[in-house]
Amino acid sequence: MYLALKEIRHEKLRYGLIISMIVLIAYLIFILTGLSFGLAGENTQAIESWNVKSIVLNKDSNVSLSQSLITDDQAKKASLSAKQAVIGSTPVVAKDKGQKKISSTFIGAKKDQFILKNLKISSGRRARDSQEVVADEKFKDEGYRLGDKIRLNSSDQQYQIVGFTKNAKLNISPIIYGSTGTWKSLRGMTNAKVTGSAIVSKTAKYDAKDTHLKTYAISYFISKLPGYSAQNTTFGFMIGFLMIISLIIIAVFLYILTMQALPIYAVLRAQGIPARTLAATITSQSLILMVSGLVIGAALTAATASIIPIGVPMSFDIPVLTWISIGLLIMGFIGSAIPAQKIATVDPVKVIGG
Amino acid sequence: MSVIELKKINKYFGKGVSKVHVLHDIDFSADRGELILVVGPSGSGKSTFLTIAGGLQTPTSGEVSVEGKQIAQLSTSQRDKLRLNQIGFVLQSYSLVPYLKVKEQFDFVNKVKRQGNLNKAELADLLKQLGIENLTNQYPGELSGGQTQRVAIARALFANPDIVLADEPTAALDSERVAEVGKLFKELAETRNKAVVVVTHDVRLMDFADKTYRIMDGKMTETNTEKMAK
Ligand SMILES: Nc1ncnc2c1ncn2[C@@H]1O[C@H](COP(=O)(O)OP(=O)(O)OP(=O)(O)O)[C@@H](O)[C@H]1O
Ligand SMILES: [Mg+2]
Repeated sequence: MYLALKEIRHEKLRYGLIISMIVLIAYLIFILTGLSFGLAGENTQAIESWNVKSIVLNKDSNVSLSQSLITDDQAKKASLSAKQAVIGSTPVVAKDKGQKKISSTFIGAKKDQFILKNLKISSGRRARDSQEVVADEKFKDEGYRLGDKIRLNSSDQQYQIVGFTKNAKLNISPIIYGSTGTWKSLRGMTNAKVTGSAIVSKTAKYDAKDTHLKTYAISYFISKLPGYSAQNTTFGFMIGFLMIISLIIIAVFLYILTMQALPIYAVLRAQGIPARTLAATITSQSLILMVSGLVIGAALTAATASIIPIGVPMSFDIPVLTWISIGLLIMGFIGSAIPAQKIATVDPVKVIGG
Repeated sequence: MSVIELKKINKYFGKGVSKVHVLHDIDFSADRGELILVVGPSGSGKSTFLTIAGGLQTPTSGEVSVEGKQIAQLSTSQRDKLRLNQIGFVLQSYSLVPYLKVKEQFDFVNKVKRQGNLNKAELADLLKQLGIENLTNQYPGELSGGQTQRVAIARALFANPDIVLADEPTAALDSERVAEVGKLFKELAETRNKAVVVVTHDVRLMDFADKTYRIMDGKMTETNTEKMAK
């Protein structure tokens, strides 16, 4: 440790350059993770706010909410308790005169079931009749106000926004909560005997008792959201590759520095300094570099997070970032293994000569 | 009993046609209280001899014992300990850690070898004797060749070894400094009862030596000091 610190202090430029590389990598990894979690959050926020464990969908729907239908008969047979709720979902384009169109998801539900009953309103109030809706705060960010009357798709019917709710996003699109009747008319099925797209349940083992319906775990349903798994895999790979790149960078730099300093290590070995002490020097240097890089990278990330525009989905999960940092430290440790091995096995005579 | 004893040492380098016989049946011993000089022309095998004596490399055949222990039978870490505690090497080149100030070179020894090193007063005396007491805040890169050599000597002596093995410790020194180093080595041997072996082709050191050996064509012979000095 003594030699490690002394050398870093003496060779400020060299080690400063290595640290700046690590800072950039750590920063990139942190930001990517934040984005990845932000995007994942926008896929699942609404589902998480419902607090459900399973979802019942039509067997033939290919686990897709928009392809699934629940009939009145099926709903009756399903013997719903307070722990179940029916939702009808359909993609809509919401617009108001002079405002931006917003592609959203309309969720129709029954006032006496938990989806609407437990809906957390951040401003305004709950809907009282089917002419009123509650929208995700994204609408507020885009300039919509309480009391605004919006049209959904091309129908003439107007719906008044009476409340906003936070974190109501499903598959990245903001949700408009309204009545089952509205959902039926949006689907063009006003006279059909259907009640929604799916039944969500707060219990894991709920059975709808119908051969055409199937219960899925909510985590499975989430993994089947369009694009969700692909997105996560992409980010996972990017982060994984950056980890490996950081390993290579630290290994290569330490290797070069070690090779340059080999004569010195040889002399120290000749003087009887144990190989372990010298190998520990390079390992602790690597860890010092990694820790400084991570700390500065984290500070940069925090600074970035505080100035990032609202529209960019970013969310920092401290446990995950901690694991990533530990991962990078392990990379540093592995990266110093080859140089440490070189030092431990240096032959004093070869280098000293004379 | 001799502190260092070499018996029938042979050392070959290379293989086949390029095989060189560098050391030839060398017998050598050094006792406490002796300053021994080994002289010989460049390439005669002086450094090879010294590194074998210090356990840094193994002879092709023959036996080396230090303080009664056969080096060949020691493990790597036992050899490290032997070099750390009993042997002070003054090497021909690169003896100092470039990113440690002169005084930190000694601090570092204190960190690795926690006892038996010189105390502050003794170190101050040693530095004064070598004329480097004003250089303690300098980095090795800021020292002249001769200053570097004297710091390297101080570094080796700081651990207070029983045996001092020095390879060309005076190559970069002027006559005045040579005399001081010679005196220092002689005193180490005589008053502190150490065995000092100096390998050199610097004939100016001969005046201080108790014994002088000569290496020629891989063979070692004891020389009459007075005769050689002429
Ligand atoms: N590792 C090695 N491999 C092959 N040959 C070597 C090796 N080390 C030394 N030699 C050869 O052994 C001979 C003696 O080398 P050594 O370094 O002991 O000489 P020296 O007496 O110290 O010379 P100088 O006074 O120039 O320092 C030389 O011919 C050298 O080329
Ligand atoms: Mg030599």
